[in-house]
Amino acid sequence: MESVTQEHPVAPALAQSEAGHDSPAPTPKTGRLMEWLTHWSIERRVLAGFGLVFAGIVVISAISYSNTAVLIENSRLDTKSHELLQLLGSVGEALSAAESGHRRYLVTGDESYLRSYRTLVEQMPEYLRYLRGLTNEEADQQSRVETLERLIARQLKAEADAITQRENHGYQAVRHLALSGAAKNELEQIQRLMTELDSAEQRALVLRVAQSAGSTKNTIALLGLGALMQLLLLASVYFLIHHDVTERRRVATELQTRGELLEAANKELEAFSYSVSHDLRAPLRHIDGYAALLSKSAGEALNDKARRYLQTISDSAKQMGQLIDDLLVFSRMGRQDMLRTTVNLDQLVKTVLHDLRLDLQGRTISWTIQPLPPVLGDPAMLRQVFVNLIANAVKFTATRPEAEITVGSTNGSSSEVQIFIRDNGVGFDMQYVNKLFGVFQRLHRNDEFEGTGIGLANVRRIIHRHGGRTWAEGAPDQGATFCFSLPLARTLR
Amino acid sequence: MTTVKPILLAEDNPRDAELALAAMEEHHIADKVVVCRDGAEVLDYLYCRGIFSTRQEGNPVVVFLDLKMPKINGLEVLRTIKSDVNLKPIPVVMLTSSREESDLAQSYALGANAYVVKPVEFHQFITAVKELGVFWGVINEPPPEGS
Repeated sequence: MESVTQEHPVAPALAQSEAGHDSPAPTPKTGRLMEWLTHWSIERRVLAGFGLVFAGIVVISAISYSNTAVLIENSRLDTKSHELLQLLGSVGEALSAAESGHRRYLVTGDESYLRSYRTLVEQMPEYLRYLRGLTNEEADQQSRVETLERLIARQLKAEADAITQRENHGYQAVRHLALSGAAKNELEQIQRLMTELDSAEQRALVLRVAQSAGSTKNTIALLGLGALMQLLLLASVYFLIHHDVTERRRVATELQTRGELLEAANKELEAFSYSVSHDLRAPLRHIDGYAALLSKSAGEALNDKARRYLQTISDSAKQMGQLIDDLLVFSRMGRQDMLRTTVNLDQLVKTVLHDLRLDLQGRTISWTIQPLPPVLGDPAMLRQVFVNLIANAVKFTATRPEAEITVGSTNGSSSEVQIFIRDNGVGFDMQYVNKLFGVFQRLHRNDEFEGTGIGLANVRRIIHRHGGRTWAEGAPDQGATFCFSLPLARTLR
Repeated sequence: MTTVKPILLAEDNPRDAELALAAMEEHHIADKVVVCRDGAEVLDYLYCRGIFSTRQEGNPVVVFLDLKMPKINGLEVLRTIKSDVNLKPIPVVMLTSSREESDLAQSYALGANAYVVKPVEFHQFITAVKELGVFWGVINEPPPEGS
C-alpha cells in the first residue's frame, strides 16, 4: 500500500530493486545501466531505442552499399576480361590463318591464299584499338599490348617484304621463307605474349571471383547480423515500453481503487452531514419549543430566577442550532463544486454591505471602500468570505464610539492580488494568530462577542480552494487587519 | 354549512407534532388538523383505507409532509400523490429539518408546492407553522372537489 504514494518516476526503480532480488547475481554494471535506463522517461527510452535501430540500419546499409558497388565494378571488369579473352582468341586465329595463307602463297604463288592475310592487315588497326581499350585499366597488360603491337607490325612487315620478293623474284628467292615462315621469331614471341596476356587476365578473373564471393558472403553475414541486432533492439524497446505500460496500468488501478474509496468516504460524509442537519436539529427545536410552552403556560407562577433558567435553556438550544448550521456550511464549502467565473468584487462588497444594513443600525461606522480588481472564482463562496470578514469587523468594533473599517487591495505580485479588511476594533494578541483560522477557535469569550468560531475557518477553506492564502495582523485594542490573496485569472487552477 | 376540510400533517415525531399543533392552536385551526405518524398512514388516509376506511370522503385542503418518516418516506409519499390523478391537485408542503440541496431539488422535481425548513427557534417555528396553516388552510382557495 505504501508504494501507492510514491511518485511515478520512483515506482519503476522500486520494481527494479524487487526484480533484483529475484535474479541472484546481477552484475553491478548492468544494475547501474538498468537503473539509469529506468530513470529515463518512456519517451526518451523509445527515442533511444529507435535511434539505435536507425543507426544500425544506416551502418549496415552503408557497408552493404559499398560491397554491392564492389560487386558491380567486378562484374563490369569481368565482362571486359571475357571480351579481352575472346578478342585474344580471335586475334590468335586470324594471325595463324594469315601466316599459313601467306606461306601457301609463297609456295604456290596463288593470290587467293593471300585473302586472309589481306583481311588481317585490314582489320589489325581495329583489333589493336580494341585491345588497347580493353586493357587501359591494367598497366601490365597495357605494356604487353604495346609490345604485341610492335611485334605484329614487324611480322606483317616481314610478310609483306616476302610477298614482294615472291612477286619480283619467284619461288626460289623465298623458298627458305616459305618453309619456316617470314617472321618466325616474331611469331613465337607474339604467341608467348598472347599466352601471357591470356593467363594474366585469367588470374585477375579468378582473383575477382574470389573477392566477389567474399564480399557477397560478407554482405549476407552483415545483413543477418543487422537483422539480429534490430530484433534485439526492438525486443528491448518492447521490454521497456511494456515495463512502463505495466507500471502505468498498476498506478492507474491503484488510483481507481483510491478514487472509489474516496468516493465511498465522501458518500459517508454526506450521509453524516445529512443526519446532522436533520436529526440533531429536531431535539433542539423541542428543547426550545417546550421551554417556550412551559414559560407560556406557567409564566405567571414562575419567579425571575426560574424564568431566567428557562431563557438560558432556550438560548443554549438556539446557539447549538447556529453551531450546527455553521458547521454544515463549513462542510458544504469543502464538498461543493466550485464555479469559475469573473467576479466583480466592488459589486459584491456593495451587496454584502446592503445585506448587513440591519446589523449596522445604531452604529457609527466610517467606511473606506477602495476599488477592487475583478477576480476569477465562485461568486457565492467569495461572497461568504466578505460577509464573514466584514461582519467580524463590524462585530469587533462594537465597543468603539466611531468604528473605522477599510476594505482595499494591494498588489501582491504579478500572479496574485491581495485584499485586506482593516478595522480599529479590539484587535488580538499576535501570539494567538495561528488559532484565528481554526475551526471552533475563538479569542473572545461569548459574553464579550458572540460567535461560533467557524467564520474564519470558512474563510480560510474557501480561499484555499481558490488557490490563495489567508493571514492576519493585529494588536490588542489596536484593531486588526485580515488579509487574503487570490490568484489572478490565468494562474487560477 | 360547508364541510371543514382537514389539514393533513405527516409527522413521525410526536413532539414536533405537538409543537405544530400548539402553533396552530393560536389561530384556532388545530381542530382541522389530522396527524399521521408515517408515510403509510398518510396513504391510508388519502385512499380511505385501514384505520381511515370509515372517514368522511374528500381530499385534505393541504398536506404538510415531513421528509424522514418510517415505512414510507416523504419523497415516496409525494411521488404517489403527484402521480395519482385524484390526489395530484392537493397542495403538498414539505416541512422538514433538511436544508440539503438534493432534498430540495428532488422535492420540487416531484411536484412539491412548497418547501419549508423547520426553524430551530421555537418562535420562528410557531410563526412558520401558523402562517403555513393560515395560508394553505384559510387563505388559499383549494382545488374544486372531484377535479
